[in-house]
Amino acid sequence: MKKKGTEQGHIKKRSQFQETWKRLSKNRLAMVGLAILAILVITAIFADLIAPYPYDEQDYMATLQSPSWEHLMGTDEYGRDIFSRVVYGSRTSLYVGFISLMGGALIGCIFGAIAGFFGGKTDNIIMRTCDVLHGIPQIVLAIAIASTIGPGITSALIAVAVSSVPNFARVVRAATMTVRDQEYVEASQSLGGNNTHIIVRHIFPNILAPIIVQATLGIGKSILLCASLSFLGLGVQPPMPEWGSMLSNARTFMRDYSYMVISPGIAIMLTVLALNLFGDGLRDALDPKLKK
Amino acid sequence: METKNKLLEVKDLSIHYFTDEGVVRAVNNIDFELARGETMGLVGETGAGKTTTARGIMGLVPNPPGRVVSGEILFEGKDLLNASKLQMRLHRGKDFSMIFQDPMTSLNPILTVGDQIAEVIRLHEKLSHKDANRKAAEILEMVGIPAERMSEYPHQFSGGMKQRVVIAIALACSPKLIIADEPTTALDVTIQAQVLELMRDLQEKLGTAMLLITHDLGVVADTCNKVAIMYAGQIVEMGSLENVYDNTKHPYTKGLFGSLPSLSIKSKRLVPIDGLMPDPVDLPSGCPFHPRCPDCMESCKSRMPVKTEVSPGHYVRCLRCE
Repeated sequence: MKKKGTEQGHIKKRSQFQETWKRLSKNRLAMVGLAILAILVITAIFADLIAPYPYDEQDYMATLQSPSWEHLMGTDEYGRDIFSRVVYGSRTSLYVGFISLMGGALIGCIFGAIAGFFGGKTDNIIMRTCDVLHGIPQIVLAIAIASTIGPGITSALIAVAVSSVPNFARVVRAATMTVRDQEYVEASQSLGGNNTHIIVRHIFPNILAPIIVQATLGIGKSILLCASLSFLGLGVQPPMPEWGSMLSNARTFMRDYSYMVISPGIAIMLTVLALNLFGDGLRDALDPKLKK
Repeated sequence: METKNKLLEVKDLSIHYFTDEGVVRAVNNIDFELARGETMGLVGETGAGKTTTARGIMGLVPNPPGRVVSGEILFEGKDLLNASKLQMRLHRGKDFSMIFQDPMTSLNPILTVGDQIAEVIRLHEKLSHKDANRKAAEILEMVGIPAERMSEYPHQFSGGMKQRVVIAIALACSPKLIIADEPTTALDVTIQAQVLELMRDLQEKLGTAMLLITHDLGVVADTCNKVAIMYAGQIVEMGSLENVYDNTKHPYTKGLFGSLPSLSIKSKRLVPIDGLMPDPVDLPSGCPFHPRCPDCMESCKSRMPVKTEVSPGHYVRCLRCE
């Protein structure tokens, strides 16, 4: 038998966060993902200092230039520095990715928790609605929403958020259902806790792990979806730099000036890759079954 | 017993579960009462309806499929079955609370024990965070756990300690009635004794009434004033400890005592009760115990025995005693 309370107690005192971090830091790929993310966030915050030119400065003396020391990634058809635009674009992409995901996660969590906790008719109504939303391809749904509200960053945000709701609702519902029947939930009921209290205090903290994982993996998708919307001209409008719309603009020059599509493309790819690597690592680290 | 002294009165309570396979008659027409500060043991086999009775009192019968089909539950004279959901919620934890069987699962693994105790206090009393925490610390000390351990998580406690925490949570708002659903089943014998002693001490100190659900007649003898024996959803025998233990009337109760090992009488084998608990979906006609009863008469097979008072306060449901 282990001796509890004395030495063992102190060793065991590590919190869940530290425990997770320890396991996460052993995962090399996840750390690479985290490093790329960190660089991206720093780039987004200090874009003004990093970018050599303002993102909308046009120089008609230097249009469609190949990468050089002056213009690291070349210039576009208006003579704007692509490197600066990619740097500024990280702001838009991360902003849209995070905000829309937060919105989607919030709504999805609320509906998923309600569906999972109450079950029965409530569950059926919410989940069937989600099934319908799920049945429509995300991009089509987003196009429908964006074209109803009108193109622009807000409609892109709403479109991406709405289309991520069903994913969250599903994950949260499943997790809620496993926790709902735990004895401590019944214990809380027997002590006079009301439903809201039980969901917020007892169920939600216990299902945080799958939500976090879904969120990290979802940001990548959101960024990609937002880029697709911008590519189609329904998202972020020029001259605001956004990777998707940069790709869209550069599409016409792809054959002769391929560097124009490569840089924003790589930026998107790296971001999504980093988020997926990190999300995967996080999922493994939070999974108690993989504990060693 | 004077009327004003009664804390809990259960009259003619029946709780059935309506499932696809049929109606499960978990609790059938049971009556009992509990005075302030009194302890009653509710003894029976698995599936006798003990836990359902407890849930009925708490108002936590899972619905669907469960439903209280008849009866009254009076708590301090107020009918709990007709109370609104909100009223019930305010009662729970403050006026009556429950101790669950398994302390391993009845604590939330990701909240500190201090938080979980303070939570109940804050649900029922308008106290600031700080005051609630201070009170939680006091209660923790009361159940014999140093207050410094408030910020620890349930997994850092041993089983017996966890059950102490569960007791602390149940007692946090000094309820008038505690329903303990097999509080010692998951613990080993030495810890059982400690926990029972703790519960008895606290009960005396706080004047709380207790309904102790258990299979263990020894635990009942140790802690209770009264005992009710349940079989197939009915109370077959009820009375004071002396009545039931020394003047056993019902053949089922006799069978339960007969199946206990004794230190004084040497025997090679224990005497079990033949047969199994009847299926609550399809209870036998007449007295539900008749197929297993060694003293079965012809009339037992057709007629349900009524509650008979064989001596003051000692009730038996058996045709032989009518």
